[in-house]
Amino acid sequence: MDTTPDKSLWFFFKKGDLNAFKALFKIHYPALHTYGIKLSNDSNLTEDCLQNFFIYLYENRENLSDVNNIKSYLFVSFKRRLIKQLQNKKLRTSFLEQAPLEQEIMFSPQELAVKQEVQFLCTKTLHNLLNDLPKREREVVYFRYYCDMSTLEISEVMEIKSQSVLNILQKAMIKLRKHSENKLIAEILKKS
Amino acid sequence: MKTEHSFLQQLLNDPSFVNWAKNSNNNDIEYWNNWIANNASRIETVDTAKAIILGIKFEKNFPANYKVEKELSKILPQLRTDDFLIPHSIKKNPFKKYVSLSAAALILVLISWSGNQFYTNSTSTVHKTNYGEIIDLKLPDGTSVVLNGNSEIQYKNNNPRNIFLKGEAYFKVKSIPSTKAKFWVHTEDLKVEVLGTQFHVNTRKKRTNVVLDEGSIHLEFDNGDVKKMIPGELVTFSKDSEKLVHTKVTVATPYALWRDGTYTFNGISLKEVMTNIEYTYGVKVKYQHPQLQQLLITGGVPNQNLKICIAAIELATNTRIIHKDNTLLIQNNLNN
Repeated sequence: MDTTPDKSLWFFFKKGDLNAFKALFKIHYPALHTYGIKLSNDSNLTEDCLQNFFIYLYENRENLSDVNNIKSYLFVSFKRRLIKQLQNKKLRTSFLEQAPLEQEIMFSPQELAVKQEVQFLCTKTLHNLLNDLPKREREVVYFRYYCDMSTLEISEVMEIKSQSVLNILQKAMIKLRKHSENKLIAEILKKS
Repeated sequence: MKTEHSFLQQLLNDPSFVNWAKNSNNNDIEYWNNWIANNASRIETVDTAKAIILGIKFEKNFPANYKVEKELSKILPQLRTDDFLIPHSIKKNPFKKYVSLSAAALILVLISWSGNQFYTNSTSTVHKTNYGEIIDLKLPDGTSVVLNGNSEIQYKNNNPRNIFLKGEAYFKVKSIPSTKAKFWVHTEDLKVEVLGTQFHVNTRKKRTNVVLDEGSIHLEFDNGDVKKMIPGELVTFSKDSEKLVHTKVTVATPYALWRDGTYTFNGISLKEVMTNIEYTYGVKVKYQHPQLQQLLITGGVPNQNLKICIAAIELATNTRIIHKDNTLLIQNNLNN
């Protein structure tokens, strides 16, 4: 993957170029917004947190390290910030709940395209199949196909090796195929 | 498993394989289709690799552009822009460089893409399906074609209404009333002349089957004979035997229904069903007892996945089908 555009965009952003900042915002806000809502289930909190995050980025730009990949950098630091917010919110509301702070990535039926290019994914219940996958497989699928991240970007966001990203992705695909095959066979059994 | 794993890595890193998966370069498509035909045992890994490349399509729940702009406009006034510290010229120009950098990349992509277009324009186009694969095609003139597994259509790019077919396909021809341009389908056995209609052509088993759904078509034979077909009719012709069979098809017959991904059979013998499977998946079928061939099947059999297909047929006929090395061995079900 070519990271040169990322590097130069980051360079000008750090110099204080407002256009670079705007570009950064427009490119990355949509996916971060959706990611934040998936994790927090709270759009107000996500939007407040994103605002503060981008203001923080701009004001501290000179202290930020050089990054090879802007997207994974933003995802990682935004997630850290959001979880801190969730922690504060939890402290205010209840001390009792033991549930983890952030929600797991889940998919709703509306989020899946009706027309899938891969034959075995053409099922109305694809969202159920995805939601049944183990957490990490779901995350990799989300980052890869929903957020269009490269293997390298995913490995940085999830803090695992690139090789592991591929392994997890492969496992997820094999499972999806097995499940959809089994479902088809079960349907045929029901009919006869 | 270990070797399949590294094989999968290899596929994912191979640009030619990626092209095949995305159906984007004729040479690569041909190469990999060939490779797969000769390496049927690797098909599962190939399928997984293809799925990883094509991925899952999401309707992304991203905020709309105006929303993003709105959020940005909320932030901008809050920024302590110390613009005046940075000389204007230095500040603006470098970013322009960044923009022109990405413009260069865009032009490069466009050039290589149109170069490819040019290449295919000067020759002919081939669409080919693998075993068990069904594809929907739109031809340059607007005609839709559904190409069944293990089939191929070919046309000259300067004449896309002149199609050569091997295998099985369903056509929905776009009529062009202004010019009355004809549409031709050529097979080994005959030519089909069309004026805008829906029909199905199958050239497997050394003969050509044509079923007409809507409109009207003419069949032209090598000896110059012309036959007009009416909707709902099935014509079978073989050059070898010179035998022409004219029959009326009813909705319940299996012809052309494969395009929804299911073969529908209504009291068809297992032998006929399995011949279909042999052509669609490129497998050989053997029977433990010859009388098994006479078992009758009624119902739907999904035709895009051999495993599921086999499971459905086993169930419908109460047999056991053993799949080994490209051969399907059909036995009585001993559990009953």
